[in-house]
Amino acid sequence: MISSDVIRGYNDTLILYMLLDGESYGYEISKNIRKLSDEKYIMKETTLYSAFTRLEKNGYIDSFFLDETFGKRRTYYRITPLGLAYYREKCEEWKVTQEVVNKFIKEL
Amino acid sequence: MDTITGYLNNMFASLPRTEQTYKLKQDLLLSMEDKYYELKQDGKSENEAVGIVISEFGNIDELIEELGIAVEGTDSPLPQLAPEDTWSYMAAKKRAGFMVGLGVMLCIVGPALLILLSTLAEYGFLQGVISEDTAGILGVVILLVLVAPAVGLFIYSGTVSEKYKYLQKGFTLPHFLRTEIEQRSRAFTPTYTLSLTMGVCLCVLSPVPVITWSMINDDATAYGVVILLALVALAVFLFIYYGSIKDSFKFLLKEEEYTYNAFRAQ
Repeated sequence: MISSDVIRGYNDTLILYMLLDGESYGYEISKNIRKLSDEKYIMKETTLYSAFTRLEKNGYIDSFFLDETFGKRRTYYRITPLGLAYYREKCEEWKVTQEVVNKFIKEL
Repeated sequence: MDTITGYLNNMFASLPRTEQTYKLKQDLLLSMEDKYYELKQDGKSENEAVGIVISEFGNIDELIEELGIAVEGTDSPLPQLAPEDTWSYMAAKKRAGFMVGLGVMLCIVGPALLILLSTLAEYGFLQGVISEDTAGILGVVILLVLVAPAVGLFIYSGTVSEKYKYLQKGFTLPHFLRTEIEQRSRAFTPTYTLSLTMGVCLCVLSPVPVITWSMINDDATAYGVVILLALVALAVFLFIYYGSIKDSFKFLLKEEEYTYNAFRAQ
């Protein structure tokens, strides 16, 4: 299990990745993140929704309502072109970060 | 499921009720509901499912932080209080409380002295010193002489508090400072309770001299009234002085009438 401190700077990236293939909603995103990480990372609800707020404010995602068959109104999110550019930027950043940190990692 | 709804309501209780927080709460509830029903479907018991959903909720502060900026829009974030500002604010509140308390006391003592002087003169105790008329005039003069500095004290205490008016727009406390204030607040509580008790006792006992005096001698009831006023003056001073110290704690810790919501409502 990864601590939330370690991954903090990449929560937004994880969420954006989940939206690359199309719109999704809160629980689906968090479920998929958990599945994809082999249950090693469980994103807290507050982390997820504060990320949505931040991403939407920055114009990286937008949201819309979809009414479900049994009357529930769900907020869906989709990535914007700006969000896609930001995602690419973060991927580049991660490559460099990984490279740098790796230089200091040694099997003992 | 009720436990989850209740938990979420609690978490959102301290947040301002805006359209944004309402929507966020609905979204969170739906998301937690989804998780809850899926866990139940996977064969988890009610307690297990609720436990997991709540333990994976996270920290509401994280949301508040994000919303704080969104709610405030382009406004700068709330200023963080420095220790020196905090202590000088508390000292100023204490001083202002002392001055207002003293002022009110003077305003009560003034009429008390007026009554005393005129009663003494009426019963001839001041014969040979001053006449009854002079005693009356002297009483009024003393009253005015006491009220004048009282008004001065009120105005001055106002300017002392004025300096810290900016705090009413909101502020944040660093954690260590909050802990320290909480500690001081706890240490102050016995003093406050004692002052409150003493003040209330004084108020309750204040009519006693009037009653006893009137039993001994009906004419001398006025002396009882003088003592009554003096006791009330003392009690009022206690209430105002210690009350304003208590108030400064409540203000800094945002307790009771100073909670986040009350702030917003103002």
